[in-house]
Amino acid sequence: MDIPHQLHTSLSTTTTPLPSLPWLTSLTTSRHPPPPLASLLATARTRLLCSDLTTPNLLDPQYAATHTLPPHLQQTHAATRETKLAQDVVVQVLDIEDISRSTWEQVEELEAVARGEGTRGREVVRLPTSTNNGNGAGEDGEGGVGEGTQDPGQGQAQQQQSGGGSSKNSTHKLVVQDCKGQKVHAIELKRVERLAVGKTFIGEKILLRAGTVVARGAVLLDPALCVVLGGKVEAWHRAWVDGRLARLREAAGAERRG
Amino acid sequence: MTRILCVAEKPSISKAVAGHLSGGHYQTNNTRDAYIKNYTFDFDFGPPWGHCSVTMTAVKGHLTAVEFPGEYKQWEYPPPDRLFDAPVLTVIPNDNKSIAKNIEDQARRASALVIWTDCDREGEHIGSEIRAAARKGNAQIQIKRARFSNVERAHILSAARRLIALDDRQVDAVSARIELDLRIGYAFTRFLTLNLRPLGGPLSKLTLSYGSCQFPTLGFVVDRYFRVKNFVPEPFWGIKVMHERDDIKVNFNWSRHRLFDRMSVVILYERCLSARTAKVTKVQEKPTKKWKPLPLTTVELQKMATRFLRMTGQQAMTVAEKLYNKGFISYPRTETDRFDKGMNLRALVQKQTQDARWGPFAQNLVDGGFQQPRQGRHDDKAHPPIHPITYAAPTALDDSERRVYELVTRRFLACCAEDARGSATDVELLYGDEAFAARGVVVLARNYLDVYPYENWTGTAELPRFVVGERFEPTEAMVTEGKTSPPGYLTEADLIALMDANGIGTDATMAEHIEKIQERQYARTVERGGGGGGNQAAEEDEPEPPAAAARGGRGRGRGRGGGRGGARGGRGGPAPGRGGGVREFIPTSLGVALIEGFDRMHFETSLGKPFLRKEMELKMKAICEGRTTKQVVLHESLGEYRQVYEQSRAELNILKAACRQYVFQNGG
Repeated sequence: MDIPHQLHTSLSTTTTPLPSLPWLTSLTTSRHPPPPLASLLATARTRLLCSDLTTPNLLDPQYAATHTLPPHLQQTHAATRETKLAQDVVVQVLDIEDISRSTWEQVEELEAVARGEGTRGREVVRLPTSTNNGNGAGEDGEGGVGEGTQDPGQGQAQQQQSGGGSSKNSTHKLVVQDCKGQKVHAIELKRVERLAVGKTFIGEKILLRAGTVVARGAVLLDPALCVVLGGKVEAWHRAWVDGRLARLREAAGAERRG
Repeated sequence: MTRILCVAEKPSISKAVAGHLSGGHYQTNNTRDAYIKNYTFDFDFGPPWGHCSVTMTAVKGHLTAVEFPGEYKQWEYPPPDRLFDAPVLTVIPNDNKSIAKNIEDQARRASALVIWTDCDREGEHIGSEIRAAARKGNAQIQIKRARFSNVERAHILSAARRLIALDDRQVDAVSARIELDLRIGYAFTRFLTLNLRPLGGPLSKLTLSYGSCQFPTLGFVVDRYFRVKNFVPEPFWGIKVMHERDDIKVNFNWSRHRLFDRMSVVILYERCLSARTAKVTKVQEKPTKKWKPLPLTTVELQKMATRFLRMTGQQAMTVAEKLYNKGFISYPRTETDRFDKGMNLRALVQKQTQDARWGPFAQNLVDGGFQQPRQGRHDDKAHPPIHPITYAAPTALDDSERRVYELVTRRFLACCAEDARGSATDVELLYGDEAFAARGVVVLARNYLDVYPYENWTGTAELPRFVVGERFEPTEAMVTEGKTSPPGYLTEADLIALMDANGIGTDATMAEHIEKIQERQYARTVERGGGGGGNQAAEEDEPEPPAAAARGGRGRGRGRGGGRGGARGGRGGPAPGRGGGVREFIPTSLGVALIEGFDRMHFETSLGKPFLRKEMELKMKAICEGRTTKQVVLHESLGEYRQVYEQSRAELNILKAACRQYVFQNGG
């Protein structure tokens, strides 16, 4: 069996979305001499998680066909109180918001961070600006996370702080997209620890297990039935972070008041 | 017989100490200052001095002042930044010349000087000024210092027999601060005034003073002002479940509290309804407490006085000072919130048993109800928490003294009493996938609350019986809707708390800075009620005792429609003045312009922010602890402020634009 096929077989036993053979072939032929299989496997996984799922010919056609949401979910299911996904579905995160906090509260916090200020109880503290040391710039500092091929696990740690006040009791609402390009809302039915503003990357992949509840066209997330695979689409994430304050301000209706 | 000169920080202390040391038999001689007397008597200091002839006198606070030489007195020239390195002279102001002369003369005939200034940094520095005056008359004079924190007889006698040395580190810290305040204050005040007066209008006649504490204090006021003004209310939704059992309507609160997304709430609510029944997942009954207060610090005293006594922090301190001078309470400037284990607190409680108002409560403590006070985490190693020293009959005090004494005493008795006790029942439900909880509290014993009307604890209705595992169909489940409301403007208590947390001023000077920003027309206070949410003071009133730990995490704008504001009225007891009399701070347009002007210059550290000043306070502390020296601190801090000065000069137009925008309401 040639290397792409070996990789294909190995990946098919994991939770990672299964890439197409041509994609695996181009991945392996770009390296001479080919590195050991284990490292190729890791590279394939990382690259995949950092790709846009809707890229043509990225995924194995059979995998793609079976791991998608029911068509037109939002329209066809709006009247349905509850249904369950019949099969595993892989999606990527396009947006995440913490709906347990008011938008304005988040605006104030982001503005303070932009001024280089934070609060510790009543104390106003100066935040170190433009550093990559993990304590640094916060949500507006895209600095921390390197060149996209980085192990997503590491990036996670770097962004962790300034979790935007997410806590055990937070509820997040996401916009997720399957590989056919269908976008739906996903709401935390129960807290999924790896999801949080400042922790979750845009483009991050999530595997929704068969049995996941869909209510009124929205996916309800339950940690027992969803696997956060990690990953990130660098350009999307950057754009999302850069535009967040403006979006929040607009959502809060602040622009009306000038 | 050895001759000893004693000098106190103020005449009242001098008289009180002379009275105690002499046993009431002293001779009084007038000095050239109308308020300063010299008391002479004999006293046995114990070894090594033994029986001595003592002259006790006083100063009136600081004996000296610092100033720039004459050629720097003109505002127009030399330029203000020269003041960062101009010479500084220590002089004795005219008012104090005869006082200094008195000390100098007395020192000539004495072999030792005992300094009886208040035991804090400022007092230490005043001690050094007295020392300098005494040495002028007698270079060989031996210098000692008495350490005391109240003017009760036994305490004073023991202080006189355990003299210590003057702490030069504290002296250095204060003189560094004095010099920095002089240079920085003068430089920036001249800079502001000279540059902004030409804008004309209301600015043309003002002196625009700058103080390194004043500005950050004003900064807090302005910051809150904008947060109120810019606030955007937002709708939120929640799910409320009510179940009626045994004629009791039990409201269950949603574990998610509320969400700012209607669609999500509707979906989750629908899932509750389709589950039909709720299941009881937890029933727990356990004893609960409302903790008695911590021993009283200066900051707490000021906060309470502004909230319950209709006084400003400044007024409260003045009154407390009087009570201290008269010997009724301990030294009112303290950061300590723990009593030394060795103190005989029961004896102090005993003294309060004769009072008509709290006497029976005190008697009850004496008869066995006494409990050791809680131990806070602060200890300034100089003074105990503020507490009553002797009993003061109401007739011996004027109205404001009476109220402050009452507060101090009630707080002290509350500290020595037992926590309030109750019983709490928690019931938790799972309704569909959503969790709900209800809590019922029954107050069993009010304990300290009986003497402490500044707090209250009302139980909720007792919950009916629920059993774990039972299922029931809730009587009512509905989606609720609400709107966020803005925070309130800062109250004086809020402002003090912010200054405290950010190291602006010392507990002793905070109230003065607050007065100053009003005097300078940078801010004013208005009666609360005309708008604002009024919800932010509620954090001090958490019904649950251990809530203190959770304070830091409190979000902003999280108030529930300000509903709590009204609930705090019914306190009754001797704490009148709660009826909406709380005053809030609002910046004037000038105040806004100054802070905005500096903020918009985008320095790393705006003068309107607390950072620079906080560093300075930390450096003072470091001098006291011997980790740095006065010279190093002066060099560093002046460097920092000089840099800010240069930047301010370069970006002066931004400041002017802010003034035009806010003061003259044009441009922007």
